[in-house]
Amino acid sequence: MRSEILYPGAFPMVRVELAEGEHIKAESGAMVALSPTVDVESKMEGGFLGALSRKLLTGEKFFFQTLRASRGPGEILLAPTVPGEIVVIELDGVNEYMVQKDGFLAGAETVKIESQMQSLSRGLLGGEGFFILKIGGKGTLILNSFGAIHKIELKPDQEYIVDNNHLVAWSVTTSYNIEKAASGWVASFTSGEGFVCRFRGPGVVYIQSRNPGSFGAWVRQFIPVSE
Amino acid sequence: MTTITPNALCFGDEFPASGVPCLVQVEGHGLTVTFVSDPAERRSESVPFSGLTVSAGGLDHDQLVVKWAGPKGERTLYLKNADMIRAFRQAAPDHLNAPFERAAERVRQVRHRHRMIWSIIGGTILAVVLGLWFGADLLVELAVDRIPVEWEQKLGESAYRDFLSHQEVVKEGLGVTAVEEMAHRLTEQIPNNPYKFEVTVVKSDVVNAFALPGGYVVVFTGLMKKAESGEEVAGVLGHELNHVLQRHGLNRIVKQLGLVAVVSIVLGDQQGLVGLMKQLGVELLTLKFGREQETEADLTGLQLLHRAKIDPSGMITFFQRLSEKDEGRTEWLSTHPMSRTRAERLKAELAAMPKKTPEPFTFDWAKVRGSLGVQPVVDP
Ligand SMILES: [Zn+2]
Repeated sequence: MRSEILYPGAFPMVRVELAEGEHIKAESGAMVALSPTVDVESKMEGGFLGALSRKLLTGEKFFFQTLRASRGPGEILLAPTVPGEIVVIELDGVNEYMVQKDGFLAGAETVKIESQMQSLSRGLLGGEGFFILKIGGKGTLILNSFGAIHKIELKPDQEYIVDNNHLVAWSVTTSYNIEKAASGWVASFTSGEGFVCRFRGPGVVYIQSRNPGSFGAWVRQFIPVSE
Repeated sequence: MTTITPNALCFGDEFPASGVPCLVQVEGHGLTVTFVSDPAERRSESVPFSGLTVSAGGLDHDQLVVKWAGPKGERTLYLKNADMIRAFRQAAPDHLNAPFERAAERVRQVRHRHRMIWSIIGGTILAVVLGLWFGADLLVELAVDRIPVEWEQKLGESAYRDFLSHQEVVKEGLGVTAVEEMAHRLTEQIPNNPYKFEVTVVKSDVVNAFALPGGYVVVFTGLMKKAESGEEVAGVLGHELNHVLQRHGLNRIVKQLGLVAVVSIVLGDQQGLVGLMKQLGVELLTLKFGREQETEADLTGLQLLHRAKIDPSGMITFFQRLSEKDEGRTEWLSTHPMSRTRAERLKAELAAMPKKTPEPFTFDWAKVRGSLGVQPVVDP
């Protein structure tokens, strides 16, 4: 498969070219347009229980779609639901990434996706639900964010503190601790959680420049409430 | 040329932050690290064991972290292949034993913690399931309490009208006035009665009587013919009225509709229940009460009779007689299985009550019975 990001910026799309017989997994709802040679199959990644646990515990869509170029080569246009950037990561077969719910857009057929339970304290305090996606294997992984995607590169033992609402993905060679935010941070949190992640390298952390929770709260104030 | 599969990530100053995939092999003297990012120009580095330090790291602290000082600054390897780690550990000299042991201990701790978390989660789920199982009655009670009487009446009334439209209703006569007198005597003894009880006599040889949620009571002439005194019929009425007062019907409905209904009621969506009722086709008329509800209706019925100064022994003898001679269509028994213990319980309860002189009814039961059975019924 080959991929190309169209209209980089806030409202991008990604064009994926498939050779005959190739397929990709895509977040259901991401598909915008496709060649007539491409078939859409709904498949529950990780089996029924895996899909169910993703649905219940992370609010992730129940199905991933499988888009297969079964009748000749073809192309697919994919776009995320929210305005924000798309980033393409080439997985090398060794590195693995933890991906926040809503962060996954699509992946090559050789990319492995599994739901993983977070540590209880991380799940409860980190506000990410008990399960996040652990994505490994080899091939192209396409992530999307809310706002712009920023890549933080951490050298061994280098630390960085991130508001957990801004997390998109992080490599498993990093480690992190959930910490209660210092008072200066709390003031900026409209979501009111007041927890941050202290990451420690080596590895890469992808963050998004907008906080979906805060944005939701900001939008809600303009919506007239009935009752 | 052979392609090699990387089994580790290498970090260092000149490498990207996400690390470089590499193949680590254990040799007699130390580790050989082969970088595979550029197949045309494969580079290998040899590192003696003496220069290495090991620890546990990564997101779950389950990766082996190997560090050494290379010619271009510090290098860090992240390994997670179990076979590779085992081979490394076996080949490593003594000075690495202690750090290896610490790293292994760290991994064990992480695994142990994960198991703990899973058992906590498993335990929590089990507790919730058990809690729902045993707490279900409490939840149902809570939900039933929130259903307003008017809504209950609406529910009962539609079933009542629907039922009566297919039946021959006895509109007047000795039987009707007798039943009305009994109902009046009983209902005026109910404190703060939120229900307007409506009692209808239906001409049918079926031995039955029932009460719908909201206070709609039906007595069949078949039951009245079986009764040897007005007190016996009043006993059945006392029992049926208390099914309404204790909201047993609603209780059963909510139980049958399940947790969804309970939750929607507790959260204030009573309209949702109407829809659910229709969807599941719960038939009010065929509702069976539970044993506990029957006992409750018996005992509260007995007390009601007592307060109304209607001789409660009629209730007990009637119940016993109905169960002994199971002739004809004694439908009331199919929803009210009579047992010896049930009658014994009532007798004991009655004996414990203070004695009251019963006030007889104004009607002559023999004449009422005659009007129903012996002579042909007056045309309605
Ligand atoms: Zn009963």
